[in-house]
Amino acid sequence: MPTSDHISESVFKDTITHAVQNVFKTMFNATALLAEEPQTAAHDATENTRDILIEGQLVVGTVGFIGDISGLIYLYMSAPFANQLAGHILGMTEEELEESGDEVVNDAVGEVTNMTVGVFKNQLCDHGYPCKLTIPSILRGSNFSIEPITSASRRIYRFKIGTNILVADLLMKQGD
Amino acid sequence: MRYKILTVDDSKTVRIIVKKAFKSYDCDIIEAANGVEGLATAAKESPDVILLDVTMPVMDGVEMLTKLKSDPALKGIPVIMLTAEGGRDNVLKIAKIGVRDYIVKPFKEELLVEKVGRIIDLKPIGDGAQAKAKSIFDPASILVVEDKPAIVQQIQDGIKHTPWKIIGVNTTGEAIDHCSKTPPDVVIISLSLPDEAAFTLFRLLRTNVKTKYTPIFGLVVKTDTTVLQQAQQVGFSSIVTKPIEAQDLEAKIAKAMNLDTSERYFATEDNILLMRLPENTTPGVVAEVTQYLKPKTADAVDSGICRVVVDLHALKHFDMTVIKLLFTTMQTFRELALQYVLVGNSQIVTECKGFEDTKGWQFVDSVEDAKAQLNKGAPVLATAG
Repeated sequence: MPTSDHISESVFKDTITHAVQNVFKTMFNATALLAEEPQTAAHDATENTRDILIEGQLVVGTVGFIGDISGLIYLYMSAPFANQLAGHILGMTEEELEESGDEVVNDAVGEVTNMTVGVFKNQLCDHGYPCKLTIPSILRGSNFSIEPITSASRRIYRFKIGTNILVADLLMKQGD
Repeated sequence: MRYKILTVDDSKTVRIIVKKAFKSYDCDIIEAANGVEGLATAAKESPDVILLDVTMPVMDGVEMLTKLKSDPALKGIPVIMLTAEGGRDNVLKIAKIGVRDYIVKPFKEELLVEKVGRIIDLKPIGDGAQAKAKSIFDPASILVVEDKPAIVQQIQDGIKHTPWKIIGVNTTGEAIDHCSKTPPDVVIISLSLPDEAAFTLFRLLRTNVKTKYTPIFGLVVKTDTTVLQQAQQVGFSSIVTKPIEAQDLEAKIAKAMNLDTSERYFATEDNILLMRLPENTTPGVVAEVTQYLKPKTADAVDSGICRVVVDLHALKHFDMTVIKLLFTTMQTFRELALQYVLVGNSQIVTECKGFEDTKGWQFVDSVEDAKAQLNKGAPVLATAG
C-alpha cells in the first residue's frame, strides 16, 4: 500500500498551494502567494511556534483526512483576518459579526479549512491515495503550540493574502 | 408555486451561502444540519431540490442519499451533492446511488444558481420576471449584438433621450461574457450575424438562469421575411426591423420590460393633475394614454385632487385618434366633477376651430396660466392667443 513517504516534497508543496489558492480565489477573489519554503520535520514545539509567526490571538481551523493516506491540516490565521474572511463569506458587517459572536466566525473558518483540505485531499485521491475528510474543529488562543507525535511528518507553508498571513501546517502519518 | 430548496449541511456557513445565493430568486430555502434532520425535513416539506453535503455528523450525506433513494415517496427528489469530497472514486460511488448533479467546494454562488436553475424554473423576485426597472425614467441596460457599428450608433441616437444605456458588442462571445458578468435588461441581436450566430446566442441565453427571462429582440431587415419568421418561431420576444424607427423601438423595450410609462403623460404638481400629450402623439401613444387615463384620474381623486391641466402645447397637429382621446378624457373629468383647463398652441387652436365638434374648445397659453386659472376657482376656458 502506498504511504505519504512515497510522495515527493514538490507534490506536497504544489498540492497545498493549489488548494489554498483555489479556495481563496473562488470564495474571496483573493490571491494567495506562497511566502517561503516549507519547514519540514521540525518536531520541537518552540521551533514550531516560531514557524507560525502570527502575532496576537489566533484562530486555527483543522480538518483531517483518513484512508490510504492519513493526516491533518491546520490553518492558522489572526483573529482579525478570521473575522474579515467570515464577514466576506457570510455577507455580514463587522457589527453583525460582533453581535453574532465567535461561533459564527469559527464556523466560517471551519468551512474554509474544510474546503482547503478538501481540495488538497481530492488531489491526493486522484493521485491514487483515496481518503475521506473528517469534521472540522477550531482552536482559538495565543501562545499555544501543536506538537505532533514523532511518527508524523510535518510541513509548514506560509501564504501571504493581501497584508495577511495564513499558515498551513500539514501533519502526515508516515508509513507503518 | 414557490419552489423549495433543502440544504443539508453541518456547516452553518454553507447554509448561509446557499441562502445568500438564492435571495434574489423566488424560492424558499429550508435547512437541515445532518442526514437525519435532512430526511425528516424532506418528508415533511417535499422540497423540489436537495443540496447535500457528504461529511456530516449523526448521519452523513451518503447514508442519507441511500435512504432517500430507497423511499418511494422521496426518491424522485433531485439531489445535488455540494461537498468538499470530490475525488474521482467518491464521485463515481455517489453517482451510482443517483444524484442529479455534483458541485465540489469551493464553489461560486453563480454556479450553484445555474445548476439548481437547470432543475427548477428559478425566477428572479419581482413583479414580472424581467422587470428590474419599473419606470420609464429608471436606468436600464440594453445590450446590442451587432457587427455593424453604424446600427449600434443609430440605436444610441434614437433613444438618447431615455436613461437607458446602450452597450454594443460585435460578437456572440463578447455578448456571453457581458451577460455572465452583468445581465442586461434587454438584448437586441442582429439576425444577420454570420452562421446563424444570432439563433445560437438566443438558445444559450435562454438556457442560462441569469438571462432566462431577459427579453431578446431580433434585429432584421424588413424585407428578410424568411429570417423574420424563423426568429418568431424560435421565440424572440420581439422583432425590430431596419430601418429602425426609434419611437417604435422605445415602445417595444418599455413593453418588454413591463415599464410604467404613465409618468410621461401624467404628473401631479401643486395639487393639480397634469396630463401632457407629446409632440408626436401617435396611435400607440394614444393607446397608452387611454390605458392610463382612468387609473391615473382615480388615483388623483382618491388623493383629494379635483383640478386638472390638459397640456397640449407640444402637440403639432390633431388627428381623429387624438380628438377621440380628448373627448374621452373630458368626459371622464366631467363625470368625476373635476375642473380642467386645456393648454394649447396657436396651431392646435386653429385646427380645433376647423372641426364642428371641437370648435368650442377653449385654451390658455401655458401651464402656469392654467394653474392660475384653476386657483381662482371655477376654470375659465380662454382661447389661445
